[in-house]
Order: sequence, then structure tokens, then C-alpha cells
Amino acid sequence: MPQKPAILSKDTRKRLREIKEVDILVGIPSYNNARTIGHVVKAVEAGLSKYFSNYKAIVVNSDGGSTDGTRDVVQNTTIDQDSILVDHKAEQFHKIAIPYRGIPGKGSAFRTVFEIAKDLHVRACAVVDSDLRSITPEWIELLIKPILEEGYDYVAPYYHRHKYDGTITNSIVYPLTRALYGKKIRQPIGGDFGFSGRLAAFYLTKDVWESDVARFGIDIWMTTTAVANAFQVCQAFLGAKIHDAKDPGADLSAMLYQVVSSVFRLMEEYASVWTRDGESGSVPTFGFMYAVGLEPIHVNLDGMIEKFRLGVKELSTLYESLMPGNLLQLLGTIAEGSRERFSLSDDAWVKIIYHFALACHHKVMSQEHILKSLTPLYLGKVASFVIETWESTAEEVEQRLENLCLAFERGKPYLIERWEEKRYS
Amino acid sequence: MGIIVAITICDSIVTGPLKDFFQRLIAFLPNLLGALIIFFLGLVLGWIFKKIIMKIATLLNTDRFCSTIGITEACAKVGIKGQPSHLLGRIFYWLVVVIVTIIALYALKVPAIENLLERFLIYLPNLFIAVLLIIVGYLLGNFLGRATLIASVNAGIQFAAFLARGVKALVFVFAFAMALEQLGIGRNMVIVAFTILFSGIVLALALAFGLGGKDIAKDYLEKRLKKEEEEKKDDIQHL
Repeated sequence: MPQKPAILSKDTRKRLREIKEVDILVGIPSYNNARTIGHVVKAVEAGLSKYFSNYKAIVVNSDGGSTDGTRDVVQNTTIDQDSILVDHKAEQFHKIAIPYRGIPGKGSAFRTVFEIAKDLHVRACAVVDSDLRSITPEWIELLIKPILEEGYDYVAPYYHRHKYDGTITNSIVYPLTRALYGKKIRQPIGGDFGFSGRLAAFYLTKDVWESDVARFGIDIWMTTTAVANAFQVCQAFLGAKIHDAKDPGADLSAMLYQVVSSVFRLMEEYASVWTRDGESGSVPTFGFMYAVGLEPIHVNLDGMIEKFRLGVKELSTLYESLMPGNLLQLLGTIAEGSRERFSLSDDAWVKIIYHFALACHHKVMSQEHILKSLTPLYLGKVASFVIETWESTAEEVEQRLENLCLAFERGKPYLIERWEEKRYS
Repeated sequence: MGIIVAITICDSIVTGPLKDFFQRLIAFLPNLLGALIIFFLGLVLGWIFKKIIMKIATLLNTDRFCSTIGITEACAKVGIKGQPSHLLGRIFYWLVVVIVTIIALYALKVPAIENLLERFLIYLPNLFIAVLLIIVGYLLGNFLGRATLIASVNAGIQFAAFLARGVKALVFVFAFAMALEQLGIGRNMVIVAFTILFSGIVLALALAFGLGGKDIAKDYLEKRLKKEEEEKKDDIQHL
């Protein structure tokens, strides 16, 4: 049997043998983040010094081959411990910045972090994005403490975001994950997580490191794996999440495909888990909750509605193989209606998502084609949501999302019934 | 005397040819029997082959693969229903049947049939490749057409369906031209016709945008640019 290539280099292994054991590991995946990673490293170091001065810790930068000196920034960034008002100076913690091996992607970067955590018998880990601007030392406390002191295995982040930020999470990932697995994890693809050494070792046993999980979709994979395998899960309120603006030219349909295909793939893997009956339940939330202000933002409502209409008109033949006739009829009526009365109801949206999941499950056509054709309908739902909540406060929007989640839960038996059918019609 | 003459005539006109016929028939019977045995053995062999191929295809998860890349859907569209593994089994069955039929016909040792078969066998690979080219062209055309349609709709292009149909037709015409060339039908004519057609389309588009549709092209580009500017105003973060 051919031997698998080693995840860690000989030099890294040697370094880890010298370190032997640590209690806490904080991983920072990166790729050309020299501009922002310094702040993240400082916040992490301050967090470790301030809240975990009695523990042995390591900061691991798992880099994807940056050419802008990201790793140098990590190595050269230090904090002035006096400035963060700590009583006990922390032990000098370890810091390594290494290029990860494997398929380029955040998943491969995390795999390196898991390997190091396993090698060093780490008790608690956290991973934070390298483009964060709003990270504070308290994030490290909130992601690590529930594991070290409360016995949890997985800490999902809970941010307060603008009511129109994270619309894929709000309209698809959160309600769907909650309906399927029964846990109210508000930001299942948040990007910053805490997890136990035990869970890191469990992640490594999964054979996903040559798949799309290594490229994209690691966030939802980690959350779902933890929940579906009955690990103890909680969430930590981290405040606002502000990070470097994503590439404005990034294709929405590609983004939607990556996220939704990851969720749907996990539905295949854990079908035996989610097809069991059961309502959703809350998960404990740590941290001091506070509201985040809503600044006015530009929304191109006409553009979204126009794309919805174009999609319903031009993709109708394709949709016929994905959705039932009455749903198509409803979409046609909405598309032909006036802009003022434009509304895509929660129940219709739930049926759309469930039928797209079923079409992928029954392999009606190429998964990429199915999911990329969801883009116009998704824009229609976002437009409908914006029209409905334009005057709403953040709390009202949250209540509105709660209603959407309940619609997903109500529709679950409809999904289960069709999921188990041999053929899709 | 008359009777003897009559018998001799009868012998040479009727009995002789009949004898000759029966002698030839008796000589031909082993060949016929051999051919029939080969044919029936071939049918059994074909059935065994079909079962083996279906089993291998199932083990290799061919049905799922074909479904993913769109072969099942394309087959269903042209009226070929059932699982691809079964279809593959049937194809191999008929392939074996055709081969054993040819061998059986050879076993008859009839010169006219032998000549015909030789010509057919020389042409057979070309026919096979041509059919394969058309099938691949059809599937690829459908796949690329659909990909174009979805991408165009997501990009907000109003004539998305027209664009998709164009891509589909172009791929299919290209595959058809290749198939005809493989069969040696109007080899030069096909190449020339295809070149003229393709150049014509490009020239027509160039003229339409450059001269005839100058204003439309200008309006379109202006609208696109304006729209892109408007889209930049969208501050929604989807992730």
C-alpha cells in the first residue's frame, strides 16, 4: 500500500518534539494576509497572556504559500505585555509559522492545525481568520474557556452582524442546518471556532482531505461533524465581525455553489442522523450580549428582482426537472407581478431549497448546474427579505429569521418523505 | 426407343439438376449447421457477456457517474430509459450478436456474402466512430449549452437562451461535420461548408456590431457599464 505523504515536515516534527506538550493551540490559516495578520496575532497573544497565563500555549500560522511576507509578519509580531494590564506575565508561548501541505484551501490549513494539536496532546484549540479587524483578546477567552473549564468540545462563534450581512447564512445555511440537526447554531459557517483536542483528533480520522472540504466548506463541515457525532456544542458571543472586504469581483453563483454543495454533501453523509424526528433546541451561549448599530447600506433591489425574473423566464425548462409544477407556477406569478408586491414566502423558499437538495440527492443532473441555477431564486428571496425588513430593527429581523427557521422545520417531513424515494419525480 | 429418349431427356433436364441441387445442399448443410451452431452459441455468449458487463458496471458505480455527468438525462431525453449499467449490458450483448452473426455468415462459405461482408467490415470502424462522435457531440452540446444558459442568466444577460442555443448548435454541428468526414461523405465539401458557415457567423456578428448594430451595441455596452456601476453600489455581504 503506498504511503501517504506526511502532513508535517521533518523540521516541524522536530520542533514539535522539542515542545512536547501544550494545553492550548490557536491556529491562524492565511494566504497573503500580511496587511491584516499582525493585528490578529497581537490579539491572540494578548488573549493568551491575559486569560491563560498559567497554561502552556502555541500559536500556529498555517500558511498557503503567501508571497507577501505573511509568515514573517507572524514571526516578528510581538505584544507589549505591560500594555494589556496583566498581573502575571505569561510564560513565553511558542509560535510557529509553516506552509501547509496538500490541496490549496482553508481545509488543508486546518488539517495541519489538527495534526499539530494531536502531536502536542493539546486540550483546547481555537482557529481564527487572518483577515479579522474586529478580533479582540476576549475572543480567545470566549473560544477556549468553554472547552477548558466547561467540558465542551465545540464552540461556534456568534456575531452580531448587519441585518443584510451573511444573507446566504441567514436564508439557507442557518435555517437548514438547524432544521436538519436540531441545534440552533446561529453562525455555522462563522470561520472562528474553538474545539477540544479530542474533536481535533476525531476530525483527522475522517477521509475528506482530498475532497472539496480541503478546498472550501471546512467551516460547515466542522460544525456539522461535531453536531452529528454528538459532541458537546455551545456558542460564544464575539460581538461584531469586521473583516477585510471579500473580493468584489467574486462570483455570487460560485460562492453559493461552494456553500450549498458543502451542506448538501453533509446531508448525504449524515442522512441517518437528520432523518430522525426531533425539534431544534438551543445551545448554551457564552459571552456578554450587546447590540450592534445598523448603518444604512446600499441595496440594489431592482438588480436582484431583475435577475430573479430573468432566471424564472430563461431557466424554466431546467427548473421543470428540479421542482414541482405548482411551485414553478408560483414563481412565474411572482416574476410577472409588480415590484411593489414582490414577495417570495418562507414556505415557498423552503420548498425550493428542499427540492434543490432532493435534485442533488437523486442526481437529476450535474450538481454544479443545479446549484448555480439557484442563484436567481436566492436573489429573489434576498430581495423579498429586504423589502419586508427595510424598516425593521435588528431584533425584528432576528424574529423574522426565527419564522423562516420554523418554516424549514415544518417542511422537514416533506423532505424526508421524498429523500427516501428511489426515484425523483 | 421413344421412352428411352424421354427418360434421357428427363434425366438431363429434371433429375440431373435436382441431383446436383441435393448434392450441393448436402455439401452445404454442414456449413449451415456450423453457422447455426455459431449463431446460437453467440446468443448464449452475448447473454453471459451482458450479465458480466452489468455486474462490473454496477460494481464501478456507473449509474451514479452517468447520472452526475448528465448521460442518463440525455438518454432519457432521446427516449432511452433505464439504468446506464443495463444499457451498457444491452450494447455489449448486441455487439457480440453482430460479431457472431458475421462469423456465422462467413461459416456459410458463400462467395457473394463473403464479398459483401468484407466491404462491410472495412467500413464498420468508420461507422462506429461516426456514431460515437455524434453521441459525444450531442451530450457535450447539451452540457455546454446548459452551462452557458446558467452562467448567462446569472450574469444578467437578456439573450441567455439564444446564446445557449448557439453554443449547443455549434458543438453539435461540429460533431456532425466530424462524423461525416469520418464516413468519407463529401469530405472536402463538409470542411468547406463548415468553414464558410463559421466564418459567415463571425463576419455577420462583426458587421452587426460594427456597422448595422452600432447604436444597439453602443446602447448595450452603455447599459452594461451603467448596470455594473449600479451593482457596485450593492453593499450586501452574502457570506
